[in-house]
Amino acid sequence: MSSDRPVADPFARPRAAQGRAPDVFERGGWTSMREYRDDEAVDFVIVGTGAGGGTLATRLAEKGFSVVALDAGPYFRPLDDFASDETEQNKLYWTDNRIVEGNDWMIMGGKNSGKSVGGSTVHFAMVSLRFRPEWFKARTSLGYGVDWPIDWREMWGYYRQAELALSISGPVTYPWGPKRPRYPYRAHPVNAAGMILAKGAEAMGMSWTPTPLATVSAPHGKSPPCVYRGFCRFGCSTNAKQSALVVWIPRAVAAGAEIRDLAMVGRVETDAAGLATGVHYMREGTWRFQKARNVVVAGYAVETPRLLLMSASDKFPDGLANSSGLVGKNLMTQPNQAVFGDVEEEIRWSKAPPSTTITEHWNYDDRKDFHGGYCWMGQGPLPIEWASVQAGSRGLWGDALVQNMKNYNHCVGVKMVGEAMADENNRVTLADETDQYGLPITRIHYSWTDNDKALIAHGLDQMEHSMRAAGVRNTFRQEQDANHLGGTARMGDDPRASVVDADCRSWDIRNLWVCDGSVFPTVGGVNPSLTIQAVALRTADRIEALAQRGEL
Amino acid sequence: MKTTAPPLARLMHATRDDVRHSPRLREASQPIEPVAATPAAGPVRLLHAAAAILGGSVLFDSAVEHYRGSFQNRAMFLPPISAMLNIGSSAHGIASRDTDAHPLRSLSYVASLAIGALGAGFHLYNVTKRVGGFGWQNLFYGAPLGAPAALALSGVVGLAADRIAANEKHTGEATLLGLPAGRTLAALTSLGLMGTVSEAGLMHFRGNFQNPAMYLPVTLPPVAAGVLAGAALRPTRRSRKAAKTWLGVTSVLGVAGVALHCYGVSRAMGGWRNWRQNVVDGPPIPAPPSFTGLALAGLAALTLIERASR
Amino acid sequence: MTSRFPGYDVLAKRNTLSWNEPTRRAIDKRIAVPPGPRFFSVTEWETLCAVCARIVPQPRDRPPVPLPAYVDEKMFENQSDGYRFAELPPQGEAWKTGLAAIEAEAQAAHRAGFHELAATEQDALLRRMQKGELDGPPWRGMPSALFFNKHVLHDIVSAYYAHPTAWSEIGWAGPASPRGFVRLDKGMRDPWEATEAYPGKEDKARRENQRVV
Repeated sequence: MSSDRPVADPFARPRAAQGRAPDVFERGGWTSMREYRDDEAVDFVIVGTGAGGGTLATRLAEKGFSVVALDAGPYFRPLDDFASDETEQNKLYWTDNRIVEGNDWMIMGGKNSGKSVGGSTVHFAMVSLRFRPEWFKARTSLGYGVDWPIDWREMWGYYRQAELALSISGPVTYPWGPKRPRYPYRAHPVNAAGMILAKGAEAMGMSWTPTPLATVSAPHGKSPPCVYRGFCRFGCSTNAKQSALVVWIPRAVAAGAEIRDLAMVGRVETDAAGLATGVHYMREGTWRFQKARNVVVAGYAVETPRLLLMSASDKFPDGLANSSGLVGKNLMTQPNQAVFGDVEEEIRWSKAPPSTTITEHWNYDDRKDFHGGYCWMGQGPLPIEWASVQAGSRGLWGDALVQNMKNYNHCVGVKMVGEAMADENNRVTLADETDQYGLPITRIHYSWTDNDKALIAHGLDQMEHSMRAAGVRNTFRQEQDANHLGGTARMGDDPRASVVDADCRSWDIRNLWVCDGSVFPTVGGVNPSLTIQAVALRTADRIEALAQRGEL
Repeated sequence: MKTTAPPLARLMHATRDDVRHSPRLREASQPIEPVAATPAAGPVRLLHAAAAILGGSVLFDSAVEHYRGSFQNRAMFLPPISAMLNIGSSAHGIASRDTDAHPLRSLSYVASLAIGALGAGFHLYNVTKRVGGFGWQNLFYGAPLGAPAALALSGVVGLAADRIAANEKHTGEATLLGLPAGRTLAALTSLGLMGTVSEAGLMHFRGNFQNPAMYLPVTLPPVAAGVLAGAALRPTRRSRKAAKTWLGVTSVLGVAGVALHCYGVSRAMGGWRNWRQNVVDGPPIPAPPSFTGLALAGLAALTLIERASR
Repeated sequence: MTSRFPGYDVLAKRNTLSWNEPTRRAIDKRIAVPPGPRFFSVTEWETLCAVCARIVPQPRDRPPVPLPAYVDEKMFENQSDGYRFAELPPQGEAWKTGLAAIEAEAQAAHRAGFHELAATEQDALLRRMQKGELDGPPWRGMPSALFFNKHVLHDIVSAYYAHPTAWSEIGWAGPASPRGFVRLDKGMRDPWEATEAYPGKEDKARRENQRVV
């Protein structure tokens, strides 16, 4: 039936318009959406609808604030739009140009940058982990980085809220950290690839666990359980994945928020008094201006500093919220190196989410001569990604590549997610080139620190040891890879050493907020999405409290 | 002795003393031709039906699950075959005029008991040898421990039918394992019910009880098991009536479960169109009738208890 | 070379529950890529074809995956990966410079065009490029190793493994929506997946693969 009806191209024109937004749970369905006039100030205009912006938009709307959330990307309908194809699904990523430089270029795109309503959570691997509590006081308790201005016990409550909202499917008991409540849904079955990680971990005397994942293992609302197709990082076409598009955005719209897709924000406007007044955005070929009492920037750690820097004015010549000079600096990514190999049996690793098991051992074991921690998890690369590893990492091409690739069904590997250290030299700045909107593109400078290199070396050794112990043959290392972002608008309790305070409110402009991974002063040794959402939940509560006290 | 009941009923429920003391009964009880039905014929046939239903549940459930396991181990063909033989035996048991034990039937039942026990061992081994050993994850996704027990139960119930019939025919008393049949059977049934409750409970816990109906198999059958046990220990009119009601509810639950599991399949991605995935991955449609089979066995036990208490 | 998955064709599942409508649209478009060249000149195209044939050698017993057409399309449509190395010019310019430089290297070493060289000579030149041993005026300051890794290898290999022919070659199940996978354990295959032909079992594998649907 719906296969006969052509579905409108999500890139052609905005879908969230004329009083309605797509209902992602019904093919071709719509839900009514409240709209606000550009020339009437809303309480909050939010730039970006991902893990930070989407969550915040929802909670603020549910608390009664008027919210308009803009996203540069399209409003996808997973059931109608998502194909089972790596190349076609590049449409989920931010593929506008950025210039990368430094010793360890950051490969942008599917590893760290989404462009759609729901942001990077539309393509993320759903790994939903809590920080180790000590990381919130990294400087005081572990001797590196800086302390977060938030206590871990407070975050523990917000983690729980986020886990419940996302129906995280996880193990009945979790091996590390303080006791946490049972995950809302039970863990998924462990696939063959995940079993090998487990075997390797056990051989090294390490604990392992089924990965807590933001995709459901049993029906939840209108989400069917995961069908184990393995295209998670290319968009979930069944809506089992609990992305912001499927969890937060529908709630936000139901609570009266307006979502504007295909709306690229180019500038945050500020007035003579030094307060934000709204945002300039391009939609359907024209520049428009949305008035707002508060502006939240939630574009993740490259687009957020870009927007703040682009919005420089006479009063703020170095960009907004930048009296500390730190906007765009302390960019962190996370080492994502891997060890791969093959086994005699057929593994067919792309059946199921990429990581069905994980070990956080080296996040909690401090017998290391470097700072920070890392975890490692199973993998299930699809053909192009796997070929890119073979070609890029091992330099294989020609007959060697083609023959090697035929072993696809026997391959297995583990990948780390590590804690990179902050370094002011790692930064996002504006280039001279402009993009299709006429806006300056970003220049991303990145090099691993010495500590990062020590952590990576340790991780590769451990992972290799563990793979061999699990009986994996022909092991080789993927020596260079990274994922996730953070740090470029760090939070702190000192305006000279941070961009925003514990409430994600910028020191310089009291009605300008940042709500995404940019605020992380340290990046931790786990995937950041759950922490970003927890911070957003906290920020919403803080905003409500501040509003009630008249401090907004 | 009750004089109001019609003669045949009196005959069925009569004891030897009754017959000795009543001329009419004595007359009525003279064999004119070989009597096919023994006094416990009704419950015995019911037990065969119970065994058949249990067998049917196991046949289709083990077939689907072992198909999912690609019949990797040749022994995985045994459960569906054994279940089929039990169904055949039970059909024979229901239809045959002589409710005495039959050697081939008994063989089928004993075989299924053995295969069920073997299967339970296999399944336990499967769960413990998977990485992580005996724990939630492998209990959820390894071979289900309760399923082979259902096959064994099918055999036990069928054997009970045969043994009770044989004992009554040859000793005049409906006994099982040397004890009054009704109470022994009630104990077996209660245990069987609790085992099935555990299996359903484990799987529904895995499914997070996401639909409130998933609480039914862990709340209703335990009450039935408890009430049945109570009726066996203290058979009053009230306790027997309560047991009958709750066993009735449980047998209906077994049928409702099939419908609910079908609904569960329809809720998965692709619904029934994607049956090749969802019938195998989704809630097991043939599993709930185990409750019906056990409930019928419980009702048979109740009838025997009722008889014995007169 | 005998196939490891004889008789397996991922396209056989095109109209099954493993493929949804957006997938069919995308793959139809992929297979119908315009033959090219639309971006590259005739000479550049000649060199490109020869380079593609060495990066991913294809058997002659089946229609080739038109790799040069995909690279050409990527440049023509300016499909961006989302980043550019500071040391490299924009992708179209990088490719044109690179292809011209490869030609120049071939002429310098063998006094013949790259496409005229023997396969071993072509491979040797590409290997030198991979190691960064090639530089000089034709490269216009573009590091040859970076160009090789980030454009030559990346674009050509990605184009190959984006094609159903390559998926069948590696025994990948391919598109999977709404029907995903049931058997996740090692050594277990769903009936709609490819069967590998182990030594002595080629016919059995072929029969099973022809039944895949």
